[in-house]
Amino acid sequence: MTNTNDLIAALANQGAPVRTAGTARFVLPLIAAIAVCALAVGLVLDNAFSPYAQTGPAPLLVKWAFSISLVIFAPLALWLLGRPGRAAGWMLIALAVPFGSVAALFVIELAMGSPSFPGKAWQTCLAAMVLLSPLAFAGAVVAMRHLAPTNLRRAGLVAGLFGGGVAMTAYAPFCPGSGMVYMIVFYCLPIIAMAAIGYLTGPRLLHW
Amino acid sequence: MHKIEEYKRNRLDLLIARTREGDKRAYGEFLAEVAIVVRKVLARKIGGDGELEDIVQEVLIACHEKLHTLDPQRPVGPWLRAIAGYKLIDHWRKRGRSPLVIDDSADLPVAADDLARHDVTALLGELPPAQAEAIRMTQIEGLTGQEASERAGIGLSAMKLRVHRGMNRLKTIADENKLP
Repeated sequence: MTNTNDLIAALANQGAPVRTAGTARFVLPLIAAIAVCALAVGLVLDNAFSPYAQTGPAPLLVKWAFSISLVIFAPLALWLLGRPGRAAGWMLIALAVPFGSVAALFVIELAMGSPSFPGKAWQTCLAAMVLLSPLAFAGAVVAMRHLAPTNLRRAGLVAGLFGGGVAMTAYAPFCPGSGMVYMIVFYCLPIIAMAAIGYLTGPRLLHW
Repeated sequence: MHKIEEYKRNRLDLLIARTREGDKRAYGEFLAEVAIVVRKVLARKIGGDGELEDIVQEVLIACHEKLHTLDPQRPVGPWLRAIAGYKLIDHWRKRGRSPLVIDDSADLPVAADDLARHDVTALLGELPPAQAEAIRMTQIEGLTGQEASERAGIGLSAMKLRVHRGMNRLKTIADENKLP
């Protein structure tokens, strides 16, 4: 390897890298991932929001409250995790809040009597989660590679949560399923599985 | 000592601020200062000089490539420590083992008494200075590993590693020159 002083001279001669579009290079892959997922379900599936014509918007709002909170919190956590020396613990706690809320609603629902399960279109729901989550996960990985994560497993896990959150947000308007059991089995578990994949593959995908 | 550390931290912040204003010379000074700080921090965890310099260089390249992840309002210290720690762990991972700990001088490849038969000064002159100094302190002056590590300002494991590598090198030299 070259002499350290020579390396310093060479780097200094190049000058400090100017990255004016730093934020854009992080945000654009995330937006692209969201757009691709929304476009994919829009092209393949019909009658968005029609499953809610009879039930009203409440089931969709519950699903979106969960998934959109992941879509918002995960990039914030990724942004912090990608900046060496920044504490991201509180943001990871924020990411656990949606899951805690679903668990609380599940307990309430159990106390009130459980609805029919698994519902009419669980196969489509599961297929959408399985196909879309990796797409959005890939966007998060691309975004993250622009930064400098030092805890690659944690960053991979959060990228997985983002992937699952985006997939759920995109598919939810087409989903006739309702109830917390349905949400846990066909949304939360696939999202957690995607996060686990991110946790396992993070060191390989995000290494720099 | 504490004031020196604080001065170095402030100096790094000052140099990076000047760098952001387009001062190339300040950037060179910043990188040189980074090398000093990182070398000092990692010397306690890495024994071999060549190995240490490899990591220092990796940290320098990482700092250069990922400078945009350092927020202008935040101090350089925590950012630099996180990068150095990451590169150190990455280095250990690549090497495929945890930090080396050599517990017993009985494991040394050359018995310490064998040194007495040779022109020790000439032999030590063949070694990198840090390894020669480590052997001089532990095998000639008779300091314990702990005392030698304190004098050199490095960790005990790092000191043991330096001694071990130095002795390995001496064995190679002895073999090459067919010394008894």
